[in-house]
Amino acid sequence: MSKLCTLWQREIAAYFLSPIAYLVMVSFLVLNGVGFWMLVMAFDGRTNDVSVMQIFFGSFFYWIGMLMAVPVITMRLFAEEKRLGTIETLMTAPVSDVVVVWAKFLGAATFFALLWLPTLSYSWLLNQFAAAPTPIDWGPVIMAYIGTMLVGFFYVSLGLMASSLTQNQIIAAIVSFVLIAIMFFLGFMMNIGPAWLQSFFGYIGSIDHIRDFSRGQLDLRRVILYVSATVFVLFCTQKIVESRKWR
Amino acid sequence: MIAVENLTKKYAGVTAVDGLSFTVKRGEIVGFLGPNGAGKSTTMRILSAFMPATSGKATVAGYDVFTQSEEVRRRIGYMPENNPLYLEMRVSEYLNYRAALKGVPGSKRKTRTDEVLERCGLKDVSRRIVGQLSKGFRQRVGLADSLVHDPDLLILDEPTIGLDPNQIRQVRQLIKDLGKRHTILLSTHILPEVEMTCSRVMIINKGKVVASDTPENLTKLIEGGGTVRAEIRGDRAVIERELEALPGVKNVAIEAGSDGFVCATVFAPPRNDVRVHIYEKAAANHWTLRELSRVRQTLEDVFVSITRVEAPATKQEEEK
Repeated sequence: MSKLCTLWQREIAAYFLSPIAYLVMVSFLVLNGVGFWMLVMAFDGRTNDVSVMQIFFGSFFYWIGMLMAVPVITMRLFAEEKRLGTIETLMTAPVSDVVVVWAKFLGAATFFALLWLPTLSYSWLLNQFAAAPTPIDWGPVIMAYIGTMLVGFFYVSLGLMASSLTQNQIIAAIVSFVLIAIMFFLGFMMNIGPAWLQSFFGYIGSIDHIRDFSRGQLDLRRVILYVSATVFVLFCTQKIVESRKWR
Repeated sequence: MIAVENLTKKYAGVTAVDGLSFTVKRGEIVGFLGPNGAGKSTTMRILSAFMPATSGKATVAGYDVFTQSEEVRRRIGYMPENNPLYLEMRVSEYLNYRAALKGVPGSKRKTRTDEVLERCGLKDVSRRIVGQLSKGFRQRVGLADSLVHDPDLLILDEPTIGLDPNQIRQVRQLIKDLGKRHTILLSTHILPEVEMTCSRVMIINKGKVVASDTPENLTKLIEGGGTVRAEIRGDRAVIERELEALPGVKNVAIEAGSDGFVCATVFAPPRNDVRVHIYEKAAANHWTLRELSRVRQTLEDVFVSITRVEAPATKQEEEK
């Protein structure tokens, strides 16, 4: 357990010791800030039956941020270690592969969560400065964040798996982007093909899930889907890391 | 400390290590020699539990490398080839992280890192970023890392590669000092280094041990162990003829020296001292003899003579 903690700390530190963290954070903030600002401008002076925050989660800017940020923060996890050769010093230390995989996942997941931290201020801003102060309904906002984390952590695990496949960070980023994009675009395929396929796409496409979360629905099926999918992908990653032993 | 039996490692179609067997006793400093691609790094990677062998058995301190790999990893300090480090971390930060990862308890971590910083001469650069250090210092950081949990066995894969002569000397001295407390298995290309630091040399070629002995014994082993060099003033043709006629002499190579002397290299089998014969011959013929010495064989000669046989085959393979 203490080793998991050590590795987790090192992963987080590694983000802030390279310029990538700051680059991602700034771009992410600008992107979401512009998105939020545009929504506020569009809603200005009108009465609506949906809240701005609900539109914000699931908006174009939200998804661009999701789809672009995750590959960038996960691409280095294993690929860089392989490139530098530090994978050898890491794996010959008395730690098991499972611990390494989980520590890397938790490190990236923590960084992903940190990216969203500034966006918490949006709800507060709305509450403070809206012309007709209507109290914000915190339930859906909290649910939207929970949903974002669940979906995001799943994407992070996909990115980690992509990174474990190669020693080239660019390839890792592209592969994880493709994997994440597939999960995202499946939601658009709900009108194509036979009925059973449509409902299948409906079950796993991410867009609808985020929309439901931001409405304040806690659908346990979705929580279980994302938690188990994340654990499964991490398990696959562990097997890929172990594969050096039987290749 | 190390026991290896019939170790074999095959990569897709290529046999890197082929039925390797050897043992290393506690307290030894063993030098691992061999041409590029002989299987040194592969063997070290297997011993450090980075990857398993295709077949065979290897134990470190009594623990099986494959089935009890965590116990093994706790007891070894492994420095891989090219010494990979996290370049963006500070030296002390890195060592502290590595100590934690290797299970040094929090209360002892500070003293342990301070100790290895001191021992590896890194005190002055402990606050510097690893990526900004010179290669010599980085090499010491790698060594410090392998030492930080005070392992019984150090496995160092080419610890002096790419260093300048001064740095090599410092690292070599460091290894020598470490040998007083740890068992060391190191691989290198620099042969004088092995002669100076190691208590035993193991030469491997094509994945097999081809020689294993003390450096002194190895140099005695090979052909040419009885070679003698003589500088004599006199007629070149006569000297050559007379020397070749001496008992035990196989061959004589003569070249012109300075001041009318000729330089003769007399090849004789080992343990067959022809120096006395040469002196007597010179005295009888009234030649002036100004030097008579044994040509000391270096480990380099041993290395070349043992591994050379295979060289043409390797060349052909490369051409393919």
